[in-house]
Amino acid sequence: MSNFSASRIRLSLTSYLNVAAHQTQQHQQPQCAQRDRDINLALAAMRLFLSLLSLAGVLFTPTSASSDYHEQLNLRPLHPSLLLASFNFQSNTSLASFEQQNFRYFPRSLGQILQHANTRELHLRFSLGRWDAESWGARPWGGAREGGTGVELWAWVEAESDEEADGRWLTLTNALSGLFCASLNFIDSTRTIRPVMSFEPVGDHSNTTISDLHLLHGTLPREVVCTENLTPFLKLLPCKGKAGISSLLDGHKLFDASWQSMSIDVQPICEAGSNNCQLQITQTIDMVLDIQRSKRPRDNPIPRPVAESELKCDTSKEYHSHDTCFPLDAAAQEEEWSLAHIFGHSLKGTCPLADESTDPVCIDVPHARHVYASEGAHEHKDESGYKRCFSLAPDKEFEMILPEQEISEKAPLEQPLLYAERSFIGYGQESGGVQAILTNPSLTDSVDFVYMETLPWFMKLYLHTLKAKINGLDEDIIKEMYYRPALDRKRGTQLEVRAIIPANSTVVLTYDFEKAILRYTEYPPDANRGFDVAPAVITIGNIAIRTTSLLLPLPTPDFSMPYNVIILTSTVMALSFGFIFNLLVRRFVALDEADQWDVRAVRLKALAALKRLASRFGKGVKVEKKE
Amino acid sequence: MSVSVEGSKASPAVAENSAIDVRKEDAPANAVSIATQKKEPPPEKPESIKLRSLVIFSFWAIILVLGVPIWWRTTTIYRANLPLDQMKDWAEGRACRPVFPLRISIEADSLQDHESQHLLRTTQHALDDLNDFSAHHLRLQISPPANGSVAVDGQSTGGEGEEVALIIRLLPGTETKADLQAYAPILDVYYTPNQVPSSSSSTSSLATYIANTLRDMFAEEQAMIAYLLSTSSSPPERIPKALAPEVAESLAKWTTRSIKYSRTYHLTFSLFTPTATPSSWEIEKALEDHMKPLLESFSPISNFTIDTQVQLYAQPGVSGAILKKQDLSAFINAAEWPLSPSIGGHPTINFLIYIGDMSVEGGGTSWLIPQWGGVIIQPDITDLRPAILTFSNQLMSLLGAPSSHSLPLRLNTLIRVRSAGLLLKASGTMGSLARLTVALPSISIPQSVADGVATTLFHLGKACDGLGGIEGLENARIAEEAAEKAFFEKSMVGQVYFPDEHKVAVYLPLLGPVGVPLVMGVVKEVKAWRKRRRGL
Repeated sequence: MSNFSASRIRLSLTSYLNVAAHQTQQHQQPQCAQRDRDINLALAAMRLFLSLLSLAGVLFTPTSASSDYHEQLNLRPLHPSLLLASFNFQSNTSLASFEQQNFRYFPRSLGQILQHANTRELHLRFSLGRWDAESWGARPWGGAREGGTGVELWAWVEAESDEEADGRWLTLTNALSGLFCASLNFIDSTRTIRPVMSFEPVGDHSNTTISDLHLLHGTLPREVVCTENLTPFLKLLPCKGKAGISSLLDGHKLFDASWQSMSIDVQPICEAGSNNCQLQITQTIDMVLDIQRSKRPRDNPIPRPVAESELKCDTSKEYHSHDTCFPLDAAAQEEEWSLAHIFGHSLKGTCPLADESTDPVCIDVPHARHVYASEGAHEHKDESGYKRCFSLAPDKEFEMILPEQEISEKAPLEQPLLYAERSFIGYGQESGGVQAILTNPSLTDSVDFVYMETLPWFMKLYLHTLKAKINGLDEDIIKEMYYRPALDRKRGTQLEVRAIIPANSTVVLTYDFEKAILRYTEYPPDANRGFDVAPAVITIGNIAIRTTSLLLPLPTPDFSMPYNVIILTSTVMALSFGFIFNLLVRRFVALDEADQWDVRAVRLKALAALKRLASRFGKGVKVEKKE
Repeated sequence: MSVSVEGSKASPAVAENSAIDVRKEDAPANAVSIATQKKEPPPEKPESIKLRSLVIFSFWAIILVLGVPIWWRTTTIYRANLPLDQMKDWAEGRACRPVFPLRISIEADSLQDHESQHLLRTTQHALDDLNDFSAHHLRLQISPPANGSVAVDGQSTGGEGEEVALIIRLLPGTETKADLQAYAPILDVYYTPNQVPSSSSSTSSLATYIANTLRDMFAEEQAMIAYLLSTSSSPPERIPKALAPEVAESLAKWTTRSIKYSRTYHLTFSLFTPTATPSSWEIEKALEDHMKPLLESFSPISNFTIDTQVQLYAQPGVSGAILKKQDLSAFINAAEWPLSPSIGGHPTINFLIYIGDMSVEGGGTSWLIPQWGGVIIQPDITDLRPAILTFSNQLMSLLGAPSSHSLPLRLNTLIRVRSAGLLLKASGTMGSLARLTVALPSISIPQSVADGVATTLFHLGKACDGLGGIEGLENARIAEEAAEKAFFEKSMVGQVYFPDEHKVAVYLPLLGPVGVPLVMGVVKEVKAWRKRRRGL
């Protein structure tokens, strides 16, 4: 607040004013007058927000049973110069109307797939990038709405036997593959597991159905998530990206993010002790955007060096001069940004279907940070001092501007329960190893977790080499283990380990494996790139943390080989056959007794025959000429 | 000429031999003498000749007895036996002569027995005179009085257990008129007392009247079946006289409009609005009141599943307050509107209401999209009844029902027409499959195709015997499904693209170098044998 200067207000307001002026240009009034009025309005609005500073904001509760649909965008600046944007869309529909196929908020296409495949609970994730827990803190939603790199799908399918469940799972993956334009149909038996300790149903299932529910889990670490997955995702929303916070979603921005995750969860929600059940669909999109990168104009995206006049130098250094500059520490300097900068355009009003008791836009910044919102929006500040929410005017565009500001106070980062990373160790084409490093940052609490690995069948795990070291010492921390060995070409390895990490310690899990050699046709296109190994899932209660995926290089043949092999083998066989055959059939005589192979005689014979032919032909021509 | 040849032949021989014999350090003259007097190898022993022949023979024996059969067995393509002649018979209409005998029962309680018998004879006679299409034949019968009460429910059975298509009730009245009941296949014919035929006359006005009425009633059905037969590859003598061009045109439209027959259809009712309102509608009640009764009456032919959805912020593919006729096909914004077919393998029929103020040029706000569904544009959804009634009409015409007469008659006609269509289609598929197997000798024919063909032929036979009833329709449907499945067998398609060039590329590197010594060995041996024989 202290460094707030009038010139800076004007500077940062201009971009907002442009937006506001653009909005009202349809009135065909002189633009200057319009601008002056808008400045006044904006300043008035700003004063109003400042006076509202002490007011408590409204906390967002994710499962409010009364409303049918609500949506919320939560923005959280991350260090350095990054922004986490979490979109949440949630709607409830009564189970009765779902079963009668009367679809209103629930998308018909997805609903029919779930009914056809007898799926009672569904979780689908599309993710890209790596969450940097060291500098960004705990994951959004505690990792509950996040999947491993690529596509991850798990569902509770109602079936009477395992075979029936497999059949329905196949139907489900194939149908979802068509709906989301993803290669989900490649989730076959080698990529499907049935987790035992890791996942628990989120929804409420009656005791009779839960005995028939089969949990199936599949991953596609190689799938590249892109715009064609976002478009069907948006079509499932009631407002379809035309109004409300979903209007900010744009494939160019979303897939430019440093980390992003899209999720769809469908689960039944029942009131305790009654049969009044609802089906809840939650769609979320989380992304970490680079503010500086987003601010670059789209038509000129190449980063350029800062002009000399704009460099911020530490003038107290004795070597500071016109051609030397020691950059000032910019940690206290908050960057200027607005919704239009980050997402390409401002928010197009509210979705009329959304529940009005939930504020559609929230931002996690200290209350001392200036946030200017456009007219018609009301600010609610939270008691915690680090969160504020905005309720919007229904039909107006909403813009939010955070000016450049020097502020040392930052919203506190939530510490994650566990830091996890996993990498390959070992060398060579034949064997290798995996090492997972799990660190418990807490100084007081130990963490009980389940570590789950899904390995492809061609990565043959040696279970006896599985070792856990705690702070460098061998110690038996593994409490329980579930292991289902791989069958070649039929199923992958499933390994689940329950263990405990004491406070403030690091556990290193290692195991060795052997690489199998695949058949010629089993290699994917671009086999030299390597094979993706699905991320490990670490479950702590209902929180899930995923490591990054791994890229496993396998011995790869030269793919132009088969024809060469045919030719070479044939030649060798033909040579040996000819040799033996001739040995058996030919008669051996002295050199001077043998028939001479007179090349010249043959050539002369052929020449004479040709001449005869030519003379006959010549005669024929002459005869023709005569006639 | 010959001299020069001799000379040129001699001189290189000299040069060559001198080169060979340099080490002998003989004079060139000696060399010539060596070349001319070539040393003959000692004569071969008969045992060694025999041994050589045996070696060659055993090589060839192994190749022919062991190699060729193994090669044949391992590279042969499995081709199940198909009853090609039967299939062609079906395709060309020789196996089945589609006949639709329609039983029409006359209830004449008010007439004397001999009077009604006489009326039956004269009416049948008049009908036979009018009808020139043998496949579609109306047969009259007197219904036994005991069955009169059963007839009301519309599904009474005739004397021989066959279904009765129509019941004519003769009722005395003041004027001659025919009245078709709306909810049962019953035709009430009123006659004046003076029209009762006397047993002496060979014709009567009442008989002519009934015959003409019946003919008019079944004219559309006759035309439909005649059209189906004429578009299939039936033998020409069975196709009736050429249809009038305008009738043929309307029937061509009817075939393009109507959706493929299925035991189950999915109906999707969608509400599309360009803004956020209205976001809900009273569709359940409207469907319950106005659509369900119709669907229930369809239950012998097809079942229906229903789903509904509401879609906001939907922009149509065309804009403007007046829609041109050519724009209507682009109205459905296929890229953005979620109208994907329902899951489950059965065809989906879409009905959608679009909220807007547009209208089609020349008036009207609804239209039908052939084989897809119907669209209605209306400004609000306060009353859904007219929309649902329009959808009902569109549904009837999408399912291929004839356009006139009462509902039970239309449904019965639909059964007969659908059976005929399916029968002809399955027969046509059989013919195509037979031609395909003959034309492409390199494709494999798995056993499943042979099984499918057997199923098809079996059910085609049953369908042909029971044409006109529900059972015939069911059999025709099974036959058609099995035929399509057999024709589109996946493994057959895959084998077509296995070109001969690949075989050459794989065989030649081995067979070439191995084959040449083998063949040359035989040739040499035969030559030597002939030489020896000549020498002897």
